[in-house]
Amino acid sequence: MSATTVDRAGARGSAPTGARAAARAAARSALRDQLLEHRPSVLVAALGTTFGVALLSVSHVFEQLIASDPAVAASGTVSTMLDLVASVFVGLALYVGAIVTANTFTTVVAGRTPTIALMRLLGSSARDQRRVVAREGLVVGVAGALIGVVVGTLLVVVAVGVLVARGTLPDLDYSYVSVGGLVPAVAVVATTVAAAWIGSRRVLQVTPLQATGVVQEEPVGSRPRRVLRTVLAALLVVGGGVLLLAGVLMGLANEAGVLVAFVGGVLSFSGVVVGAHTVMPAGLAAVGRLFGSGQVARLAAENAVRQPERSTRATIGIVIGVTLVTTMSVALETLRSFIGSIEQDPAYAAELDTMFTTTLLVMAGLVGFSAVIAAVGMVNDMSLSVLQRRRELGLLRAVGSTVGQIRGMILLEAAQMAVTAIVVGVVLGTVYGWAGAQSLLGAANQGMLIAPTLPVPLLVGLALTAAVLAGVAALVPARRATSVTPVEALAAR
Amino acid sequence: MTHPAAHPATPTSRGGAAPVARVGNVTKSFGLGDGRVDALRDVSLDLRAGQFTAVMGPSGSGKSTLMHITAGLDQATSGRVMLGDTDITRLDDTQLTLLRRRRIGFVFQAFNLVPTLDVSANIELPFRLDGRRASVEERAWIDWLVGTLGLDSRLTHRPHQLSGGQQQRVAIARALATRPDLIFADEPTGNLDSKAGRDVLEVLRTASRDHGQSIAMVTHDPVAASYADRVVFLADGRIVHEVGASTPAEISQVMLELERTA
Repeated sequence: MSATTVDRAGARGSAPTGARAAARAAARSALRDQLLEHRPSVLVAALGTTFGVALLSVSHVFEQLIASDPAVAASGTVSTMLDLVASVFVGLALYVGAIVTANTFTTVVAGRTPTIALMRLLGSSARDQRRVVAREGLVVGVAGALIGVVVGTLLVVVAVGVLVARGTLPDLDYSYVSVGGLVPAVAVVATTVAAAWIGSRRVLQVTPLQATGVVQEEPVGSRPRRVLRTVLAALLVVGGGVLLLAGVLMGLANEAGVLVAFVGGVLSFSGVVVGAHTVMPAGLAAVGRLFGSGQVARLAAENAVRQPERSTRATIGIVIGVTLVTTMSVALETLRSFIGSIEQDPAYAAELDTMFTTTLLVMAGLVGFSAVIAAVGMVNDMSLSVLQRRRELGLLRAVGSTVGQIRGMILLEAAQMAVTAIVVGVVLGTVYGWAGAQSLLGAANQGMLIAPTLPVPLLVGLALTAAVLAGVAALVPARRATSVTPVEALAAR
Repeated sequence: MTHPAAHPATPTSRGGAAPVARVGNVTKSFGLGDGRVDALRDVSLDLRAGQFTAVMGPSGSGKSTLMHITAGLDQATSGRVMLGDTDITRLDDTQLTLLRRRRIGFVFQAFNLVPTLDVSANIELPFRLDGRRASVEERAWIDWLVGTLGLDSRLTHRPHQLSGGQQQRVAIARALATRPDLIFADEPTGNLDSKAGRDVLEVLRTASRDHGQSIAMVTHDPVAASYADRVVFLADGRIVHEVGASTPAEISQVMLELERTA
């Protein structure tokens, strides 16, 4: 207690300039550490803004193109439509980005627990501490948004420049920035702050005592009961599922069934996302068992589910992206093979084929961007979790785990997350895609069921994605985990 | 504490001639130039087979560094460490890892157990890392250890469900399970209340007395050191004194003397 008093008096009173400079230097290095921790969040915010600004800027350029063409009368409607479609995809990217950022902040707070506990011990309130973290969220959001606005606008300027030079686009005096085009930047700042606020919840649970005690082993498998969320998720899944089925049945008589099925699909998938904390850990555990019963596989399998909530948030973004891409692919592919089977004119069929492929590629690209953001989140989650497990890794090395075994464990952990997310996404997407196609085509098929068609390129692409994602997510953490000697790791707190 | 499959305590093992580990002229320095710190200065020490040796010294005396180097967890700047007939200073990282897995047991002050594994899996970890299950004979030894250490009803528990003393007993069971050449214990009672601490020390002493287990324990607690057959004192990176089995009072006396002359 007395030491604190002395410290405070020293800081307030006539601290020598040297001490003050040292304090400033310490503050600067603390700031640098914080920036390092937040780098992935800045990246996520920047990616989201880049995507949003670029998409709306493209739509803005289209509007000018359309306005320059007197033949198109209803330009107002078209541009509104474009903006609407763009905002759906931007909204999706921001939502996934917010999940990733909230997860990152939760992890960062977990790693800072000793510092926060010390501040609490010295008399800082939990709310003050949480506000500090939230303020960092604001800085992260603004920094990311600024980068994103610049990069996104530049990308479109360059792209339009190239297209004009090639003569694909008419040489108009394009303006790239519109007030509406900056909405994504504002939205990113808002979602990042909100995500930081949600992610900083754990600050409130840090007690001053944690600064004095010896580091305890993290309780494993203790998951908070989220009754309300689980009930809501169950209602959405069941209600949405019933609507989806009703849509499919209605579709056997009338293609309007697709609208009912669409609502059912949106509701039930929202339920899956809300209730992911009950689904993903089970999925991860099941995939983990597939990796065998060797010690390395067993450790990896346990690691992936040691913090079920965190693994869920690390993977759900990928599930969302993969589900949507698969839904569209399966629906379009089923539609294409159905039309192909009844269409007699080969020229028309080929034209349809091209149209389907283009639509699919554009849609997959737009949705895929959210998956990229989600992947950044997963890679980041792996890195942070390894950082926070240094002592455990040191223990494993001490009792005889080779460097190869540690590396294998981390690779398996990453593979488990990537494979689980993608498999769950493919299964859900196949169901939704089929339901969509079936409810639309059932009537045209004389009230018969249609088998879903899974596009092979999609499956190959997703398998490759899983492999690359697991490899990338394991690369840095594995090097980090194996570069420390057991002694260093055991000494780390 | 007798067990049919236990180590037969060979006549020569108690205070016998053959050292289980020999530390020869080991120096360990950190940093370079003006910032250079010598943690160990030309230390030589024989750890005798079947003996329970305590290494004592104030904080910063180099006792933990000495243990880390002898156990193959850290590299010496110069000098040689022999474990049995193996010169461990010449081994690469993988060879050292296998040596730790098969021939050395560890009990640390805290964070001894893998939090995601239950008690049983933690005890079997060295076997499983070797890609095998315990043999029938090893199984019987582990079962006996578990029973003796009072862990029967805890086998499916995770570490965070155990008290500090129980966690240390699990760590001891893991260290003893492979019947290593040597067990290193680094302040094994540092986090425990005195009753739990005495229990842990009693277990270590019994393992050494009845089963010929060689143990090296680093501690700054005279009570803990009084359980050992031999106490080696370290100060400023050098071995400065050595006594046989002693009472806590005698050991404290030596420590105070060393403080005074320092």
